[in-house]
Amino acid sequence: MKLYLAPIIFFVFVCNSVSAAPTGRIFVTNERGDSVSVINGSSLTVEATIDVGERPRGIGLSPDGNELYVAVSEENKIKVIDPTSLKILREFEAGSDPETFAVHPNGNIYISNEDDAKASVFDPKTGEQIAEIHVGLEPEGVAISPDGKRVIVTSESTNMLHVIKASDNTIENNILVGSRPRAATFTKSGDIAYATAEISGEVVKVDMNTGEILKRGSTGDSKSKPKDVVLSKDESVIYVAGGRANKVVVMDAKTLEIITGIPVGKRVWGLAISKNGEQVFSTDGVSGTVSVINTSKNEVIKTVEVGKFPWGVVIND
Amino acid sequence: MLKKHIVKIKTGFIAILLTSNIAFAENIEVKFAYLGQKGHTALLGAQQGLSEANLQGQFLNQKYDLDLISIEDANAHDFSDYIAVLTAVDTDTYIKLTESLPDIAVFNLSLKDDELRSTCINNALHIIPSNTMEADAKNQWQKKKPDSTAKAQAWHPDFVKFAARDLNKRFKKNQNKLMDDNSWAGWAAVKMTSDTVARTKINDSAKMLHYLKTELAFDGQKGSVMNFRETGQLRQPMLLVEDNNIVAEAPVRGIAKPPTLDSLGILSCEK
Repeated sequence: MKLYLAPIIFFVFVCNSVSAAPTGRIFVTNERGDSVSVINGSSLTVEATIDVGERPRGIGLSPDGNELYVAVSEENKIKVIDPTSLKILREFEAGSDPETFAVHPNGNIYISNEDDAKASVFDPKTGEQIAEIHVGLEPEGVAISPDGKRVIVTSESTNMLHVIKASDNTIENNILVGSRPRAATFTKSGDIAYATAEISGEVVKVDMNTGEILKRGSTGDSKSKPKDVVLSKDESVIYVAGGRANKVVVMDAKTLEIITGIPVGKRVWGLAISKNGEQVFSTDGVSGTVSVINTSKNEVIKTVEVGKFPWGVVIND
Repeated sequence: MLKKHIVKIKTGFIAILLTSNIAFAENIEVKFAYLGQKGHTALLGAQQGLSEANLQGQFLNQKYDLDLISIEDANAHDFSDYIAVLTAVDTDTYIKLTESLPDIAVFNLSLKDDELRSTCINNALHIIPSNTMEADAKNQWQKKKPDSTAKAQAWHPDFVKFAARDLNKRFKKNQNKLMDDNSWAGWAAVKMTSDTVARTKINDSAKMLHYLKTELAFDGQKGSVMNFRETGQLRQPMLLVEDNNIVAEAPVRGIAKPPTLDSLGILSCEK
């Protein structure tokens, strides 16, 4: 008996403990390059490019950081990549036209299916679809509260934040915001969310318990078509990708007043912030670059050339 | 034991239903009238807009409907229940309709006549670009490419930017046709009205007309925020198309002076 159990116990032990050290790499999807660029976190240079298939957009990591997920839109698939070996481990069908997604603390993936006016939930371990939630037209941004209770899916053409209760995957609220809401992010407590509206050129701050819009703030410039939004580590400021304004707009998280605009490359869409809060990475679509921003100076410290039309970015830190 | 479980689940389900009913207490029903040929692509566009309005409406408890009214029956018809009237008719019929329905927005989805703009009919809302808008767009492009034979239009089924791809895709899927200028206009008229109902809960035609003329900020899936001039013309970007290929967008970058959308068409009323 003991003899049989020993290898099993050993196996379980090994599996649980290989929560490998984060690679420190930055991963970027190139929408028209059909690839993922891998940026070395210390040298800030591209160390590899992975061919992933047609029109990769959304990108994210498993909660333990051991798996990288990429939504390959034209193939209707999510591909699972090992962030260390950079090999594609497996893939699964993710509904029609998968675009943006977020990973729940329990490991499940919430994804917007732009063509189908719905969001779907997948277990990336098995590739099985767990739930399907009908939302507005052109669902886009997905955000999950850090405690995993709520999920926001934005619908661009229906101008709403759909608030989904993660426990049973039903809609608990629909909040009308500005035209073409694109992305959202939660505070650590999950009580507040910030969302961008591309066509109205604004950011809204929403009380997630009441659904009330607490504040609206313009991103300034008429060319500014805000897309991604991330919060600073201390939650005092938000960084907003300014689209065709070619800058990252820094706003006071309380008042939504503009603090500064950081010039980056052209058509900035994707944003990610490092866990220590010191760096923000932006994808500059038309320029084909990633800008690295030092958050204490609010300055670009490096511009990294990646593939064609970089779209999403995630940090394995 | 098993029975107890089932009961519990059922009570839970009822509780969910109740809360969603409370959240959706308000109920708005909105009706459009359409006058024009039944086979006109403007009608297909309006129907697409209607299905999208109802998709949004299911989250807000708002319902949208559209009545087809023949031009012959228009005189005797009671229009008092409609939020707005959509038209793809001839110029004379259009003018008569705007005169007989002064407190309701009469959308023009097909007529390009400049006179309809310069006369500034109070309740006329022109979604389709005018002849002058088309000519201005073409001229701007020819300043850049003198040999180009490109023509200006409001929409193109191959347009992909600014989520135009998505609109083209769902139009084709639902209506079995490619979206053209008139169908875009029909879609836009319904969408801007239903977006306004969703935001303001206005369900009165005179208030709707006033809101559309003075406060609209519409996302027509062409990248820019759209609103109306005092002429009743919708400010909008246009596409330059040569041999059925989109070659440029107007206002043409580097040529049009800001505010660039006003570089296309007539801006003010005839005195």
